[in-house]
Amino acid sequence: MKILLSYLGNLKEYIIFSVLVAASLILIFQNDNLQIRFIRAIAVNVIGVVQSGFSIIPNVFGLERENKYLRETNINLSKELSQLKESRLENLRLKQMLEFKQIVNYKIVTGKIIGKTLIQTRNNITLNIGERDSVRIGMPVITERGLVGKIVAASGNFSIAQILFNKELKVSAKDQRSRVDGIISWDGEGKLMMKNVSKSSDVMVGDVIITSEYSNYFPAGLPVGYVASVGTVDNLFKEIEVECFVNFEILEEVFVLKFLSDEERRNLEKTFNEKSK
Amino acid sequence: MGQNLKYSALLLVLVIAQKTLVWLLAVTGYEVTPDIVLVGLAYVGIKRGKITGSIAGFLSGLLLDLFSFSFIGLMALSKSAGGFLSGFFNNENKMERYLSSYGFVLIVFFCSMVNNVIYFTIYFQGTSLVFSDVLLRYVLPTAVYTSIISIIPVIFARKKLRRL
Repeated sequence: MKILLSYLGNLKEYIIFSVLVAASLILIFQNDNLQIRFIRAIAVNVIGVVQSGFSIIPNVFGLERENKYLRETNINLSKELSQLKESRLENLRLKQMLEFKQIVNYKIVTGKIIGKTLIQTRNNITLNIGERDSVRIGMPVITERGLVGKIVAASGNFSIAQILFNKELKVSAKDQRSRVDGIISWDGEGKLMMKNVSKSSDVMVGDVIITSEYSNYFPAGLPVGYVASVGTVDNLFKEIEVECFVNFEILEEVFVLKFLSDEERRNLEKTFNEKSK
Repeated sequence: MGQNLKYSALLLVLVIAQKTLVWLLAVTGYEVTPDIVLVGLAYVGIKRGKITGSIAGFLSGLLLDLFSFSFIGLMALSKSAGGFLSGFFNNENKMERYLSSYGFVLIVFFCSMVNNVIYFTIYFQGTSLVFSDVLLRYVLPTAVYTSIISIIPVIFARKKLRRL
C-alpha cells in the first residue's frame, strides 16, 4: 500500500494535470456548437477504435457468460424449431384431411391413433373416439389416401380397428380400370394379396384397386392400393400383389366413416348361406 | 500561500488585460494578437512547477473562456497544457537563468505552440480550414508574436539582475 501511495505521489503532477484536462473536456462537451459536434464525433471514433482494439483481448468471464447464454438460446431455438416443424406437419396433415372431408359423401368422425400394433398377424389400431362419438362396430376406417380397416370393438371413448394388414380382414375389391373383382387379404407377411382373380382376367401392374359394391362393410369406390406385381398361382388363378396406399407406419389420424351396410341385406345373405350349407 | 496569491493576482491582471487591452497590439489584417496570459503562465510554471502551472493555466483559461462568451473549457484545456509544460523548466538551479535570458522566449514559444495547436485546432473544427492553414495563419504567428512580447519581461528581469 505504501509503495502504491509513494508511486501515486510521484505521479501526482500528472494525475492533477489529467484531472484538469478531464474537467476541461467535460466543460467543452457541455457546450453544443459546431466545433463540439465535430470533436464529439472524433471522440466517438477514437473510443470506437480503442474499444475495437481491446475487443480482440478475450474476456474469459465474458466468454463463459456468452457461451452459457448462447447454449441456452440454442436449446430454446431447437425446441421452438422442433415445435414449428411438428406444427407444420400437423398443419399439412389436417389440411389434407380437411380437403378429404369436403369431398367424401358420408359423415365422418376424426380420430387420433393412440395405440398401434404392426408386428403381429392380427394388427390393430386403437382410436381416441368411441360410441359417444357415434362410432359403431363395422364402420370403415379410412384416411385421405385410402382404406385403413374397420372398427371391431368400441367403448364409450375408445375404439379398436382391424387394419388391412390383419389376417382376419377380407375386403371385396376390384380393379378400377378393368372392373375385375377379387378379395383383398393379407397372408401374415409381405404385401396385400388380391385373390380369386382368374388367370384370364385383365389385371396389370399399376392398376388401382378399390373397394367393390359386393362388400358388406365398405362403401364401393374407396381406394385400397395399386397392383405391384402380377403372377400365377396355378392354372386357374393369378397371384396379384397390391401395394397399399396408406402407410401404416406413419399413420397418426384417421376418419371413421359413419357407414353401416344394410342390415336386411346382411341378414338375407346370412340366412341364404346357412341354408346352402 | 503569499506567493500563490501574488501569482494569482498577476494572472488576473493579465487576463483582464488580455480581454481589454490586447486589441491595441493586434496586427490588423492578420487578426493576430499576443497571448500575454501565456507569458504570465510560463513565468508561474517556471517558478512553481507543473502542478501550480497547470492549475493556474486551468483557472486563467476558464476566466478567459468566461470573458470570451464562446464555448467554455477550450481555453482552460489549452492553458492547462501550456502551464503544465512550462513546469518542466522548474529547476532551482536554472530558474533565474531561464527567466532572465532569452531562453525564456524559447520556453514561451514552445508553450505557446502547444497552447495554440490545441486551441486553434479545436476552435476551427468544422470549418473549411485544414490543419496546415490553421498552423500557418494562426498557431505560428500567435506563438511568434507572443514570444516577441515575452522579450519585455526578460529585459526587465535582466535590468533588475544588473542592478543587483
